[in-house]
Amino acid sequence: MPTVEIDPDELRYLTGREDRDDEQLKRDLFGLGLEFEGETDDGEFELEFAPDRLDRLSVEGVARSLRYHYGDDRGVYLPGTNSAEWTVRVEDVPEDRPYVTGAVVRGLDMDDAALESLIQVQEKLHATMGRQRAKGAIGVHDLTMLKGETLREDDDRQKSVTYTGADADEETMVPLEGDQELTLREVLDVHHIGQEYAELVADYASMPAIYDEIGLFSFPPVVNGRRTEVTADSRDLFIEMTGTDQWTVDKMLNIVCYALDARGGKVEEVRVEYTEDAPVTPEAGSELLRPDLVTKMKTVEHGDVETMLGVELDERDVVDLIERSGMDAESTETDDGAAAYRVKVPPYRTDVLHPVDLIDDVGRAYGFNELEPRYPDVSTVGGRHERSRLEDAVRDRLVGQGFEDLLNFHLIDETQNYERLNLAPPDAGSDDRADGANRVQGGDVLGGGEAVTIEQPYSEEFTMVRSWALPSIMMVLENNTHRGYPQDLAEVGFAAHVDESANTNVAERRTVAAALCHAGASYEDVKAALRALVDAFDKHLETPATEHPTFVSGRTASVVVDGEAVGVVGEVHPAVIVEHDIELPVAAFEFDLDALR
Amino acid sequence: MKLPQAQVAVLEAASADEQRTIDRIAEEAELKPETATRAAFELDGEGLLELTERTTSDVELTDEARRYVEDGLPELRLYEAAVEAGADEESVQMGQVIGASELEGDVVDIALSNYARKGYGEMDSGEIAADPGADPDADAEATALDALAEGAGAYARETALEDLDNRGLIEQTETVIRSVTLTADGVTALMEGVEAAETVGQITSEMLTSGEWDEVEFADYNVEADAERVVPGRKHALREMAERVKDVLVGMGFQEMQGPHVDADFWINDCLFMPQDHPARNHWDRFALDEPGSIDELPADLVERVEAAHREGVGPDGEGYHSPWNLDFAKALALRGHTTSLTARHLSGEAMGDLEPPRRFFSIEKAYRNDTLDATHLLEFFQIEGWVMAEDLSVRDLMGTFTEFYEQFGITDVEFKPHYNPYTEPSFELFGRHPETGELIEIGNSGLFRPEMLEPLGVDCDVMAWGLALERLFMLATGAEDIRDVHGTLVDLEFLREEEVAR
Repeated sequence: MPTVEIDPDELRYLTGREDRDDEQLKRDLFGLGLEFEGETDDGEFELEFAPDRLDRLSVEGVARSLRYHYGDDRGVYLPGTNSAEWTVRVEDVPEDRPYVTGAVVRGLDMDDAALESLIQVQEKLHATMGRQRAKGAIGVHDLTMLKGETLREDDDRQKSVTYTGADADEETMVPLEGDQELTLREVLDVHHIGQEYAELVADYASMPAIYDEIGLFSFPPVVNGRRTEVTADSRDLFIEMTGTDQWTVDKMLNIVCYALDARGGKVEEVRVEYTEDAPVTPEAGSELLRPDLVTKMKTVEHGDVETMLGVELDERDVVDLIERSGMDAESTETDDGAAAYRVKVPPYRTDVLHPVDLIDDVGRAYGFNELEPRYPDVSTVGGRHERSRLEDAVRDRLVGQGFEDLLNFHLIDETQNYERLNLAPPDAGSDDRADGANRVQGGDVLGGGEAVTIEQPYSEEFTMVRSWALPSIMMVLENNTHRGYPQDLAEVGFAAHVDESANTNVAERRTVAAALCHAGASYEDVKAALRALVDAFDKHLETPATEHPTFVSGRTASVVVDGEAVGVVGEVHPAVIVEHDIELPVAAFEFDLDALR
Repeated sequence: MKLPQAQVAVLEAASADEQRTIDRIAEEAELKPETATRAAFELDGEGLLELTERTTSDVELTDEARRYVEDGLPELRLYEAAVEAGADEESVQMGQVIGASELEGDVVDIALSNYARKGYGEMDSGEIAADPGADPDADAEATALDALAEGAGAYARETALEDLDNRGLIEQTETVIRSVTLTADGVTALMEGVEAAETVGQITSEMLTSGEWDEVEFADYNVEADAERVVPGRKHALREMAERVKDVLVGMGFQEMQGPHVDADFWINDCLFMPQDHPARNHWDRFALDEPGSIDELPADLVERVEAAHREGVGPDGEGYHSPWNLDFAKALALRGHTTSLTARHLSGEAMGDLEPPRRFFSIEKAYRNDTLDATHLLEFFQIEGWVMAEDLSVRDLMGTFTEFYEQFGITDVEFKPHYNPYTEPSFELFGRHPETGELIEIGNSGLFRPEMLEPLGVDCDVMAWGLALERLFMLATGAEDIRDVHGTLVDLEFLREEEVAR
């Protein structure tokens, strides 16, 4: 889960609660759902946060939530905005990244702590809502370093920048943390930030770029130019965000504007003008004023609040709890006359999709841990799944017969599953098994089914789902040769192979496998064990001779239960035993659990 | 003093001044040697006799060796014939030499291989040469063989014996010779007089059926002696834990679910109102399959409702996600990242038809995560999943159910931390006090399913659910520190053998 780093002194300063000590703060934060994970080297709290309240990704946002929590603030707060002087003109931008939004913030009370917080909120927004900058990317610039193009002769205060597509090999910039002029291609190839995000623009027809009169100053979503870098001395900021969805970048912008407002900044609107050259989107040809600091309304029924929390509440209490959650509420009635509330939700909230989200806020403000647990007065009949009962019954029998029960991974690799058991891996998708005269029944032998494989495994040891369980048992024997014998091991478990007749194209099997490993372990012993097991389920066992590459020829039989061939039993071939560095004979069986139903 | 019959006889046959072998004792006492031996050991244990052991080795010639003692070693006969034929000066035809040596059959091969091995000369291209410097009279094997034949084998050189052994010319055997002398206590006991008592060791079938058991005295055993260690069959420790949890849940009225491990992302994620661009669904975290790639069929009307919920939300005030949604992704197969896919299949009616409330369901089944293996994280783990479907469920019902559940495992004072899951609201992380350390630890995740999940699935009452990893409960309950010792092919059998049984 993501974490956010919060300086407790900043928190005390921004909440105005200088007297809360660290322990009190930790409890307060736990109540908000922010769990204390540890401290950084500079004494900041590392807090684990759930990615719903993205407005709490900054110390300013957490402080705002705490002020509501303490009851120091109530209701919706909307930052005032000044009217727009700057315009972002959207021209021929790459179709994959058509959306942009922006804001200007002036008169900031910036210092190192505020700058650090601004950098963190950008990073965390990129990591969450921005989907690692793919869906939304933020650029923050020192406004004084920008020279806008004059838009109108009669008003030199109206200036613009242009978001457009740029040629990667022609256009140049000096990127942040760089000291030389590079083409955009070079930024992607050699600059460390460029390399990190190059993949995002790899398929773009042209590079997203934002220009002022001087030139290119932002290369979203990759890197900003060095010219407009923000420092602790910056007072006025220009913020732009580009992305694949207007709503997403607008919401990210709202969260940043709220954080900067808490630092004494004055938000000023920016005009976003989608020109006729912009890609065809719902916004093409229109003009937007951003940030979009508007509230939205949701209706919550009083009865739903009471049902979900399991307590009776006064209407006044509910309104109070809603206000203490940073929202406004007024009583109303639904069309069918039920008591309800019209709730006004502030623009930094990205998580409110449905009225249940507001009931959750009411519960948090009430304090969920204040609620008395009660066991629901609902009567139901419990019971085990039929197959799970069978699995257990078989396991109990095997244990009674002296086997040690195993629980192995379902994931394995091809070598372990096939080759080390002397099986040829089946050719994916090929039905031609007639090639080798010695290939017994081709891939039709137990364990020889086509592999269900993992697309991008992290580890070479876990690349497929095992097609049978015996390889796992052999691995356990291999890993325990230093332990006492006998090692008579069994597993009732899961195996799978590709089967095009199934809806998921996978045949999932429950399998019963057992191996005897001790001096003198023989076919007779393992057949005796198999017989005892099959007898216990009142089934008829036959063992006609067969061939299986894992087992010694002439000491291998098909497991036939009530007339149906369901598995194999035999002495494991010495080549397989030696391959697993085992120095004692192994006799084994494996068959389908369903045969014992 | 009363002693068993055999011990009395052995004691009386032994001497305080002279070591006497067991064989001699047995003869004098008229006992079988093994009976005398056991009695001697018992008397030694009682301090009445002192028993000493020494090992002697005997060497016996095989039939083949006896023939060579008579005729001489074949290689020496070959050398003599070769020298006779002048092979010490110039190589001679091999056939000629062999003929002259009168060697026949297998013995020819034996002669040739030992001839070269012992440096009597070389053979090349059918010709044989003899080393003029070789001295057949000093042949160590021949000397040893002669010495053994005369019964003076003790003087034979160790290496020669080994060579003879390798050639199958001798058989070496080791014999333990046990002797006894009376100790001072033994002498005292004899002087004070010992009487024979009728005692028996093993109770036999014959003894029981004949009634003899009533007339004998049972020998005392050393009941404090260590017993042999046996390895009993036993259920896997984690499996035992799972059984216990299942018992608790069945007792609380929960019914067990099972279902596919490999499933479409639709059932794993889309039905749970997880946006398709959710970080947990990116190609790294998802356990996507390469082969096979996608499911054949999904219920078309359900797909339509789920997609609509993702795009537009549900209810008059609902909103959807601002995320892409496409059917190909929904149909793509993966190993389930959580067993909530089973819950989705059951709630939708796909698993066992439409469900009428109230119902309680659970599963303890494997879920998979595409990650690296370490001491506390596995690629596959058992997820305990439980849910309750009923009219008008509240957060208090959820709290009551989970408080009850965790109490069964000694975890009390469960705390509910408000949390976020895409498919539940409200959502809680569950924390409890560790039964031994008192530490506050996370013990599960829970919530009430969102309307955006339930409505498309066709459920029009409330459903509350929770989940946790069985391994986590196991590690808490047992103190196991490395989960890899327990679950998987790296399992240490010793750990499983020694783990306390669950109860």
